[in-house]
Amino acid sequence: MNENRPLRQSPIYTPDVIEEIQEKAALGRYRIRGFGTLRSKPLPSLDDLTFLPATLTRIPLEGYREKCETKTVLGTRVAGQPLELDIPIMITGMSFGALSLNAKIALAKGAAAAGTSTTSGDGGMLPEERQYSKKMVVEVLPSRYGANVHHMRQADAIELTIGQGAKPGTGGLLLGSKISSEIAAIRDLPPGVDQRSPARHPDFLGPDDMIIKIEELREATDWKVPIFVKMGATRVFDDVKLAAKCGADVVVVDGMEGGTAASPEILQDHTGIPTLAAIPEARRALEDLGLYGKVQLIAAGGIRSGVDVAKAMALGADACYIGTAALIALNCNRPLFVDDYARLGTRPGACHHCHTGRCPVGITTQDPQLMARLPVDEAAQRVSNFLIAMALEVQMIARSCGKSNVHDLDPDDLRALTMEAAAITRIPLVGTNWVPGQP
Amino acid sequence: MDRVHRIDCAGRTVREINIEIRSELARGSSVAVANSGARHNLGVALLTSGRVTFDGSVGYYGAGMSDGATIVIHGSAGWGVAEGMLSGSVSVEGNAGNGAAASIRGGTVVVKGDCGARAGISMKGGLLLIGGDAGYMASFMMQKGVVVILGNAGDALADSMYEGVVYVGGEIASLGNDAVVSDASPDDMNTLSGLIRQHGLKQPRRLRKVVSGRKLWNFDHAELETWRAAL
Ligand SMILES: Cc1cc2nc3c(=O)[nH]c(=O)nc-3n(C[C@H](O)[C@H](O)[C@H](O)COP(=O)(O)O)c2cc1C
Ligand code: SF4
Repeated sequence: MNENRPLRQSPIYTPDVIEEIQEKAALGRYRIRGFGTLRSKPLPSLDDLTFLPATLTRIPLEGYREKCETKTVLGTRVAGQPLELDIPIMITGMSFGALSLNAKIALAKGAAAAGTSTTSGDGGMLPEERQYSKKMVVEVLPSRYGANVHHMRQADAIELTIGQGAKPGTGGLLLGSKISSEIAAIRDLPPGVDQRSPARHPDFLGPDDMIIKIEELREATDWKVPIFVKMGATRVFDDVKLAAKCGADVVVVDGMEGGTAASPEILQDHTGIPTLAAIPEARRALEDLGLYGKVQLIAAGGIRSGVDVAKAMALGADACYIGTAALIALNCNRPLFVDDYARLGTRPGACHHCHTGRCPVGITTQDPQLMARLPVDEAAQRVSNFLIAMALEVQMIARSCGKSNVHDLDPDDLRALTMEAAAITRIPLVGTNWVPGQP
Repeated sequence: MDRVHRIDCAGRTVREINIEIRSELARGSSVAVANSGARHNLGVALLTSGRVTFDGSVGYYGAGMSDGATIVIHGSAGWGVAEGMLSGSVSVEGNAGNGAAASIRGGTVVVKGDCGARAGISMKGGLLLIGGDAGYMASFMMQKGVVVILGNAGDALADSMYEGVVYVGGEIASLGNDAVVSDASPDDMNTLSGLIRQHGLKQPRRLRKVVSGRKLWNFDHAELETWRAAL
């Protein structure tokens, strides 16, 4: 046998696939993990778009000086008090339980300092997070853990969550290692259970019922605050139309890149559609109803930078939510306490172990000692710096495109870098006026 | 003496009716609401103590999300009656639609007639007492609290419940996942018969008790090491 001959490996049964099959054979169960999709095959993404700044057909604004408005108003349709934010970037709902108390407070303080909102999560609202938030969105989820009408009445917006991008059509998960007695008490669960939350709301099923449910939420909050409807991106065109028809003031579409603290791996990797595809579909749905601009659109799922936000806004979003990126700003995956990453079988840069409750940097844990590794004020400062830097990036792009308001970015400011992205977004391929499928 | 403020729903919006109920409760009055006409979202978010009666049926989410009020519905209720209640009581003289007492965290809900599907779903505390039958999936994913069904229970009773107790006076069509049935103890019978009498309902001959088998509480412990390695 020729010893120099390269070993051949199956393209189908790769080492990863072999490992996975053998793990399932050992466990008798699917894998659960945190973070978000780790698919090796890349998804079509906002990276497949590029901006066309002003040249001779348009005049740019002075990049570092001229006024470029970032103020963002959400919920102008029905609510007496729309949600007003200084920047179009908001902190998404992440539960106390998934996150530590310090992480929750740092996000609230950081968001407040940057003039934007934070959101509760699948474990109810913490009094501390309300206290430190300037603007607070309170989620109403299928599980209704910690649901409390008094909290809803303190909210600046209510978010009725139908699903999320990391796992549309399924409920939340929180493994027992994170169900401390405090979390158990808030959620009315026995301590230490592996909590698997419901996928359906307990008191409504389809859109006909949801119309009445939204009205109930308005009655409970005196018709003051906007009602958001959040969904994982799947059949976006129809789902967004239904949500808008049901009376949502704001629709949130969360693409399949969306983060999670714990979900079955196959759902993260193989369900839903990417954010790039979700935003244009959502926009078309609202345009079809004549509600584009009246019902606002929030995009989420894999938003990492001001450029991503600018692209999402040019495609049609009014604002973006960030989850994972905010955790990374807090310190997620930072090379600190490297031995503890190793103990989880990982390293900084590759950690996706939120589900274990042993977060080395104190973010996704309920262990007081680990949590102490996240000093609130420093962490809050990083979050607010990051949000402000993102907003500056959005402004930079907008000014270069000659826009004095970031909300004026539109699809004509973009071109697609791949045929795939052109087909998905209906934005012409670079160097052409061509959109696949159109003459 | 208790002052009773009367509200006639005819020709008025739900918003107007609810505002008036709340402001009258805040002034210490009792409120009697006439011509409720099975309208949706009546008596939502009543957050003060005081007594409210609806002289007729209410639609979806009647008396939803209340905290502290005593609410009586002289008629039937639609889906999600008393949904999300924190404390107080809601009593339905007739029947209730699906999801009665969904996810309540405290207080007492009494339905003298029958309940549709998913009564007591996701309950997080409190008491749901049903004089008649309960439809399928009663107490689905119940977390805490007590459900008493004096009549028959439909299919998949107490499916995937975490904690809490369900008592059934009649037949159980089928038990849900991980629900375990036994006879109620004499102590349970004593406590419950007082409660049943108090609400003027018929005493059942016997009660069976359904609790969680706790098999779904955790993924298997034995495999935790493998589990961690696999992540
Ligand atoms: C740690 C963590 C916890 C989360 N918890 C919730 C939750 O409680 N409720 C919810 O609707 N979404 C939850 N999500 C999903 C986010 O709200 C959001 O949809 C997603 O993170 C957006 O994608 P991104 O992380 O790529 O920004 C969570 C996400 C993360 C990363
Ligand atoms: S560092 Fe913490 S928050 Fe980040 S992926 Fe690892 S466990 Fe999750």
